[in-house]
This record gives sequence, structure tokens and C-alpha cells, in this order.
Amino acid sequence: MIWAPSSAQTTSGESDLDYDFGDRAAELRGRLRQLIADEIPPGYLGAFTDDPADLEVAQRFCHRLADEGLLTVAWPKEYGGAGGSVWEQTVVREEMWAHHEPRGAQYMGLNWVGPAIMAFGTDEQKQRFLPPIAAGDVIWCQGFSEPDAGSDLASLTTRAEPDGDGWRITGQKIWTSYAEMAQWCVLAARVGTATAKKHEGITMFLVPMDREGISVRPIRSMLGRHHLNECFFDDVWAGPDEVLGGVGNGWSVIRRALAHERVGIVRYARCDRLLSAFAEEEGVPELLRARWARALVDVRVARLLAYRAVREQEAGEPRDATASIARLAVTQCDQQVAEVLFQAQEDRSLEAGADAPVAGAVEDHWRYAQAATVASGTIEIQRMIVSRHLLGGRK
Amino acid sequence: MNPDLPSEAAEYGAGAARAFASLGGLDAARRAEVDPAERGRSVARALEALGADQLDPRADPDAAAAAGELCRAAGRVMLPYPVVPLLLRTGGAPLAVVGEGRLRVDHGDLFDEWRVATVDGRAQAAKPASSRLATKLGPFVVDLSPGGPQAEPAHRDVAFHLTLSAWLVLGVIERAVELAVEHVSGRVQFGQALSSFQAVQFQLADAAVGVEGLRELCRFTLWRLFADPERCQPDALAVRLHALETARTVLRTTQQLHGAAGLCDEYDISILCRHVQPCLRLPFGSERTALELAGAVERMGFDSLFPHGARSAVG
Repeated sequence: MIWAPSSAQTTSGESDLDYDFGDRAAELRGRLRQLIADEIPPGYLGAFTDDPADLEVAQRFCHRLADEGLLTVAWPKEYGGAGGSVWEQTVVREEMWAHHEPRGAQYMGLNWVGPAIMAFGTDEQKQRFLPPIAAGDVIWCQGFSEPDAGSDLASLTTRAEPDGDGWRITGQKIWTSYAEMAQWCVLAARVGTATAKKHEGITMFLVPMDREGISVRPIRSMLGRHHLNECFFDDVWAGPDEVLGGVGNGWSVIRRALAHERVGIVRYARCDRLLSAFAEEEGVPELLRARWARALVDVRVARLLAYRAVREQEAGEPRDATASIARLAVTQCDQQVAEVLFQAQEDRSLEAGADAPVAGAVEDHWRYAQAATVASGTIEIQRMIVSRHLLGGRK
Repeated sequence: MNPDLPSEAAEYGAGAARAFASLGGLDAARRAEVDPAERGRSVARALEALGADQLDPRADPDAAAAAGELCRAAGRVMLPYPVVPLLLRTGGAPLAVVGEGRLRVDHGDLFDEWRVATVDGRAQAAKPASSRLATKLGPFVVDLSPGGPQAEPAHRDVAFHLTLSAWLVLGVIERAVELAVEHVSGRVQFGQALSSFQAVQFQLADAAVGVEGLRELCRFTLWRLFADPERCQPDALAVRLHALETARTVLRTTQQLHGAAGLCDEYDISILCRHVQPCLRLPFGSERTALELAGAVERMGFDSLFPHGARSAVG
């Protein structure tokens, strides 16, 4: 085959190898930045601080986004969304994460609880649960991990016993983010006796957090308040209309949720903003010029790998290995950038709060980055997925 | 937004891969080490048959993508020929990027006239002035002598050179991971395939992340060369830096996974690791590249979601 310039003209009309998101996405990014500038106080570090006012900021901001039609940009129009492209959805995720997720805990309802209900819910569940999420009125938490079922999630032992036309749920969940502030929980429990196939019998329930028998105990951690909790379910009633996706079909829901989580948290965006903000405020230390340049490249590579996963979603051909590769790159980039910024801050790294460099955002980022390679599936699990793909049936 | 290659470029790259396979794949590099004149015969003919002399990556994005795929295919077999300089010839003279001192060029003996340029774009004519180093790590490396400065700066050509060299490295590490997968799948120790050990699996996974990251960055950088030609030097240095650092870790991992066999020239991984060294070391390695990148970012900015350095294209 000889390269002939005349054959280079694309016949499809689509532009290949083009990284421009387009005018609509650029306009969306501009609107979001303006809204953040208008609504979010300088130095805001997210909704999960010790200051209850920060949660109120997030709740107000969600309502404002909903009023502007921006909260559910990527949701289908039939569910009250704007039917935006995956790239517009990416812009929203980037701008939100970059600015310390001013939607607070609601990102979870928007990113995966809502879409899971769209995919697996009954008509009644869609009518009941989707409008409050779209309006920015409700916070969800996810009851997945247990003390003896972390990476091996399918080993969960929380049980749902038949009781009349419903169920009685008993068990313990752990690492549950936002459980204290959430109104609803997507709860994974096992129905029937355990079989050789651990995935069988797992069932998803949608239960209100104020139901009798549910108690929450915050876990003190380096991440700060609200990030980690234990939840105890003691003979908690769930009705037949609170099962999501059918009895025994919970693993399908979980897989979908985890796939969304792997690409939904765009940590590279905050790395990008903090590298920019620190350089603007403090300058790049001479000692770190080369390492800083490497960090910029790492952030770019992480972003491009995330875009590859989004591209596969857009084409309707998402691959687990692609999402895991993106997550490996993004989470490790998060920690590398946190370390570069701490090296730059030197002894001021130990300071926190508004008087610390970049209003404490670097200190906050470093602490939170330590969880990046654990949350939403450890990077060891991601490596297992990638190697399984590489080795195929040859292992 | 579409990070996929034009199908014509992918097809051209596949054709190049078939042509290089018909040369014997990495055996072409082995033969050239024994008989360096082989480069100017069968290898040059294969490139001519591919129309590489008609392909100018500077012409348009599609041609650039085709050139990238050609370089990737060449890297997979460490084709013994200066493919990147050939693609960037001006008036018949191929282009090499050199350091401030010695004008050291891989395959420098294959052309009588060269155009050489420093990373900051200063260009001059040059011609071969020494015999081949003929070492394990630089079998075809030749020093050139300067032939007088050229008025026309070569900024854009240098950016293309750095970028297409990264595409070549992409081919090298992509093939290295494939070779490692084949080896650990077939090699049995302690009664089981090496691939059944999680420590081995995790190393392969990390290598795969390196390959895929470089693949995406190579594509993005080609786009940047046309989207912002006046400020693409940081992008070219970035992909060069990432190629060097990824190659170091991926080649070390994949050679290690071969055990002692990985050091033997009967095994393809050894040829890949040896013959790619001039591409990784000339004109300089990763530490100086990182400093060059830092300076370029400070002068010209770095395209990203937020402003970096002098300016940002997105802001």
C-alpha cells in the first residue's frame, strides 16, 4: 500500500483526531465557571468539612444548577435532562471536581444512582426517585462494602429475609460516604442461602435512611467528617416496591454502578487546577521545575486516558480494561501531584485552613489523594482486570 | 471531539507492518548488524514501496497520522533505517535533532547530506564524518561534521521530529509488552505458567497503562502540531519526555520478565532494547528533556484545562 495524498480525504465528514470539544461544550464550561464564581465562596473545600455551612453551600448550588438546567445536563430528555453528549457530561464532571465538587454528595445520585434507576427501575420507581435527584433535593449513599466484603464485594453477608410481601434486612455496611447526611440508600443484601456462585442472590434495595432499625456511626479518618461511616441495619423493613432491578439481579446493578464510578471521578481536573493555582500564587520552586513539568504531562496523559474510556462509552463499546487503565493512571496521578505540591509547600504542608497556601486546598488534596487508589475499587483490582484482558485465556 | 485515527492512516500503518514483517521483522535488524549495507538495499526498497518518500507529515493531519503509524510500525521491529529523518527531509536532506556539541546521528552514514537542528530550532547542514560506532547500543550511530548554518529555522520540523520519534518508541514498547505476554504465558516454573503469578500480572498491567498512555499522548500531540503550530514546542517536548520515561520502565519490566533469556539476541526483546537506545539517548535523555520542557512551558504555556506557564489555550 502506497500513501497517496488524494486518499487522505475523509469521506465520512467526521473529523478524526480532533480534541476540540466544540462550541457547546466550551460555552457550558464558561457558564459553569461563572456560576461557581458567583455562588461558591473563595477557598471552598467541598461539602464535607466540619462547618455545616459548607453543606448548605452545596445544597444551594445544586438547586441553582437545577434551575439553570445544568444539574442533569447528560440525562436523557425523557427523564428531565438536557440530553447532552458524553463530552458535555465530561465538562460538567471536570469543572465540578476541579472546584472541590460543589454539588456535594449529590454527584453520586446524578452520576450513577439516577442512571441505574433509569436502567433497572420500574416506572413507579422512576417517577418517585428521579425528579428529586434532578431537582437537587436529595442525597443518596451506597451500602455496598462490608467489614468482610471489600474488594471481594460479592462475599457480602447482609441478609434480606422474606417477611410477608417484603423483606427484613440485617447486616453491617462500612466505608459508607455521606451516610449521616443521606436521605436514601442503595443497599446491597443477599436473598436466600449462599450458593457456589457468590454473585447469585445479591439484591439491591432502595431504602430511606430514617427507617427504623438503621443507625450510622461516623469513622474518624484523615479524610475528614462524612467520608467514612459504618451503617448498621437491624431488622430493617423493605417493601417489594423498593427492590431495584429484580430479586437476585443486584450484581448487574453493582457492575453498572462501579463502571460509572471508575470514569466518573475525574481527579485529574483538580490536579490541573491546583498546579495552576499554586504556580500563580506562589510560583514554581526552582528545585521542582523539572518535576513540575512531569506533573503537567502526567495530568495530560491521565485526562487523555479518561477521554478514551468516555469515547468507548460514546461508541457503545465500553471495555472494562480501558476504564481500569484510565483509573490506574488518574488515581496515581492524583497522588503524584499531591506529592509535588507538598514538596513545593515544604514546611507549610502541615498547615490547614484558609491561611495555608492556596487557602488550604493543597493540604486538603494531599489527604484526599491518599484514598484515590482505594476508593471505588482498589488499584489492585484494576490491575487484575487489565492483566486478565492482556493475558486472555492464556493465563 | 474524536480521539480516533483516520481509518486511512490506520490502514497505511497496517500495510507498513505487513511490509516490515515480510523483511523478517526484527531479523532485519539482526541482519543489518552483520551487514550494515543491507539497510540501503532491502529496507530502503521496502520504504520506497510504501511511498514513504512521498509522505510528508507536515502537509496535513491525515498525512501526519499516516506518518505516525508508519513510525509505530517501524518501532515494532526496530527497523534499521532513519525513518523519522526520512519523513522530514527538506530538499532531499533528512532531518536529525542534535545536541549543542557533537552531531551524533543514528544511521548517519546512509545519507551524504543531512540537515540537523537543535531543540530550539537552529538548523545547519551536515555530512558524515566518522565510521559507525558499531557498539552493542549504537550499532549504526555516526558523527556528522557541520556544513554551515542555514537561515531557515526548523522549529516546526523539530516538533514533528520529537513527536514522530515518540510514535516510534510507542511501537517499541507495544511490541515489548506483547513479547512479555507471550513469554510469561509459555514459560512454566514451579509447575505453573509465570503468568499465573499475581506479581507478574501486575507488572504487565502497569506496563499496559504505560503503553496506552503514550498512545493517547502521541495522537493528541499530532493534533496539537496543527491546532496550535506556533505554540506546540511544549507539546512535542512533553510527548518526547513521556516516551523516554515510559520506555525506560516498560522495557525494564518486559526484559526482566524474560529472565536471562531477555538478554540474549536470539530473543526479540534483546534486539528491541539494544537498538532503540540511540532513539532514547540522542540528542539527550529525559532529565535534560524535562528541563527543556519546563523552560518551554514558562515561555509558551501548556494547553490544559487551566492556565499554566505563560498562557493557556483554554484558560
